Amino acid sequence: MAVLDDNGPDPTAERADPRGDPFLWTEFAIPDLPASFVRRDRLVRHLDEALHTPLTVVDGAAGAGKTLLVADWASACEGSVAWLTAQVTVKGCGTFWAYLLQALRRAGVALSTGIGKPTEADRVDEGLLTRLAAELSRRDRPVILVIDEYDRVTGPEIADQLEFLLRHTAQGMRLVLVTRTEPLLSLHRHRAAGAITEIRNSELAFTTREAADLLERHGLSLPADEVSALVERTRGWAAGLRLSALAARTETDPRRYLKEFEVDRSTIADFLLAEVLRRQSAETQDLLLRISILDRFCAALADELTGRCDAELLLADLHRENAFIEHLGHGWFRLHPLFREILRAHLRVRSPGLEAELHRRAAHWMRPTGPLAETLDHAAAADDWECATGALIGDLAIGELFTGLHAGTLSELFSRMGPEPRSPATHLVRAARELHQCHVERGLARLEEAGRALAGDVLDDADPEPAATRLTQAFLEALAARLTGSPGRAETAAQAVEELRHEVPGRLLDEHPELTALLSAHLGSARLWAGRFTEARSALSTVAESCPEPATAQVRAECLGHLALIDYLKGWPGRAERKASAALCTVGHCAQSPVPGAGLESLVLAAVAADRDELDRAEALLVTAVDAGGPSSDPVTRAAQAIVTGRILLARGKTQDALEAADRAVAAEVPSPWAQAHAALLASAAHLAEGRPDLAAKLLEEEPGDEPVCLVGAAQAELAAGRTDPALELLDRLRPQRGLGPAMTVRAALVRAQVAGGSGDRATQRRLVAQALREARREGLRRPLLDAGPWLRPLLTTMPLRALAEGWLIPGPPPSGTPVPSAEQPPLPMVDELSARERDVLRRLAEMMSTEEIAADLYVSVNTVKTHLKSAYRKLAVNRRYDAVHRARDLGLL
Amino acid sequence: MRYEIRVDGEMTETLAKAFPELDHVVMSGCTILFGLVVDEAHLYGLLARCQSFGLRVLEMRQMPE
Repeated sequence: MAVLDDNGPDPTAERADPRGDPFLWTEFAIPDLPASFVRRDRLVRHLDEALHTPLTVVDGAAGAGKTLLVADWASACEGSVAWLTAQVTVKGCGTFWAYLLQALRRAGVALSTGIGKPTEADRVDEGLLTRLAAELSRRDRPVILVIDEYDRVTGPEIADQLEFLLRHTAQGMRLVLVTRTEPLLSLHRHRAAGAITEIRNSELAFTTREAADLLERHGLSLPADEVSALVERTRGWAAGLRLSALAARTETDPRRYLKEFEVDRSTIADFLLAEVLRRQSAETQDLLLRISILDRFCAALADELTGRCDAELLLADLHRENAFIEHLGHGWFRLHPLFREILRAHLRVRSPGLEAELHRRAAHWMRPTGPLAETLDHAAAADDWECATGALIGDLAIGELFTGLHAGTLSELFSRMGPEPRSPATHLVRAARELHQCHVERGLARLEEAGRALAGDVLDDADPEPAATRLTQAFLEALAARLTGSPGRAETAAQAVEELRHEVPGRLLDEHPELTALLSAHLGSARLWAGRFTEARSALSTVAESCPEPATAQVRAECLGHLALIDYLKGWPGRAERKASAALCTVGHCAQSPVPGAGLESLVLAAVAADRDELDRAEALLVTAVDAGGPSSDPVTRAAQAIVTGRILLARGKTQDALEAADRAVAAEVPSPWAQAHAALLASAAHLAEGRPDLAAKLLEEEPGDEPVCLVGAAQAELAAGRTDPALELLDRLRPQRGLGPAMTVRAALVRAQVAGGSGDRATQRRLVAQALREARREGLRRPLLDAGPWLRPLLTTMPLRALAEGWLIPGPPPSGTPVPSAEQPPLPMVDELSARERDVLRRLAEMMSTEEIAADLYVSVNTVKTHLKSAYRKLAVNRRYDAVHRARDLGLL
Repeated sequence: MRYEIRVDGEMTETLAKAFPELDHVVMSGCTILFGLVVDEAHLYGLLARCQSFGLRVLEMRQMPE
């Protein structure tokens, strides 16, 4: 893992959004005030109270003058003011918090990089909020955080998260919400505590004096009674007053006009807007109607929509008149939201069908330079899927469909694409969506179609980014190869990507770290499937050790999960556990969008728990993993799931079920050596447990001879069949293998010990058992020792082996450092000491074995077991199995 | 669900077309929008649309089927 450098500037700090959207800053800009703005002192005084209450709500109808009021107040405020226009919240709470952090940083709030960033669009982890609250609460001067258009926040989770932040920031933050509708915060509680400043619609209404002021600024001076009639008609609504003034200004007799309007009963905004629009030149009207499809616009974009070249002048005029548009700075404008809505309604009526065409033009204009998200929105609104997919692929943003903050939004956007568009790019995006949902068959078919379309399209100049298209194709090939388990194909695809890399602009690759990361993950996973662990590790660790960025967090976790599996397969449970836990921390425990390797880290943890004989924990983890991974995922994950399931079943003594689990072969193009070996081992162990050593040995004979797990397993089977020499030969073949972990060496040492014991060499046997115990103890590996057979138990009661086993494998007077049965609880009286045999029976009882299973395990008859049980019950003064196990545990006998 | 939304003022045909799913009548200084509403989300969406057009909702009620 890369270490965060606290001293240097964080290179990604300026990019709240992993793509570095060039329009971002408009969401953070405090809006400009128009020349006709009237400062209303009573409201400013009321708003000043916001400095003393944690929460302020400015709540009023559209066009009530909320935003301008707060903007005016905020720009006059001393100290840091963070402004956020909440448009982004529609894209999920992860995006919202990414923007909010950025707004704070822009306002000069020094936040440490350790706070982290949301990595997914729809989710933010609680730790981030806690860290943010902690940093904010340490401030001596509160930061004023204004969220405009808060009514767009419709999901309850953002409200909950803001409430959490409010509760825990103390004096460090003043939250000002500007909204059309009451926010979903528990306002009553804040009201009861006097911890809220509220400015509502009625207070925002203009008084007669303020209205006279406003009209004067538009060059209209009217007698007081006429103004008050107008205020009554418009109910002091700021937008209504402004429109009245604009409509009346060009009249020869504005006073009569306003009088007439008073008696008219049409809806104000609609009537007035129609009036105001009528007074504009035909060009201006046309311009206004056409730009109503845009969130923001500049002169060049407006020209593109009108097909003329007069937008610059017209916009400047409109802005000077304060008619409809606000200046955002840098030559960009936006329409007043209220007017924009009505203009769009007019556009639809006046020129039906033009809207789609305008969206199409906007999309094509934005495509080469503009922000991808807006280009895609417009292209989708125009149903121009060639343009949308072309923009996505030309920008090399295909990886964003799979991971990062935009994955959900993008996937939803492209779900609206019908089957008609047939360009290579549309096929590629369809393939990506199918593969993302692990519909491998359908994804492959789409990919083939794309390949055919590309082959026929070589000389087509219409595709501006042929290299990007081919790179995307190769990338999807790699994913398809991984999902089908064909390592060779994955290597070819990765090779193709490497070659194409130099043909696309380097800027694009820098902007999309997720693409490279995903590719390494796919390649690593395919190599892991092929059993080429070293090469797999090198591909996976480049991602796992890369700089933590939101765009790649999910992929990093996936790679860590795979690395953990490699460690596990090599027999290193401790290392595997550490990596898997790190992977879990990276993504958090919450539900994530399904990725091919999801849940692998939980599977590895389950496998480690099973090796440590923590079966309940292992089962719980297995369930988590299955839930996270969904029904289908990559073959590596499916094979791991089969292995872990089988191991747990075996440990539970359900041999028949374990046999079935081993039988469930994972379909793939190329078989995986380790997956096969483990499946064979499971089957062999199941047969061995049922007393069929010959069959068990035979199963493993057919396996490729160099898989360590198979060698150990085969040795165990041979030994059980009474053939010691072949068993030792098998173990000798293990020796040259390097990097084998304790999970293998412990099992091997135990087989050798059993052989030595069989030939009467007690000293060697004890030495080997001691070696196995030492290695197993470090990793907490109980399963291999429990599986070793009945010969081991008597040995463990003698020193020094007993000292090595006590405290983790067998009970007894525990060595210092482990929890001692507390002295406050006097041991319950015991009628008589249990015999060693009775303890053996009890121990098996605690493992939920049936009487028959215990008999088989101890090589005695069922009746003998029953006799032992009866006397154990008598000694423990109980008469049920359940009570016997509990009593024995209480007494420290198990 | 059938709903009726009474809005202050007489709405023009143009603005009424921004509610294509509803019929409307204009009477004595009010406009009544009425018709089938799919579900609550649709209902709140209609209210939000009214608000963003600067319309004053005077009354809203569910009609018997």
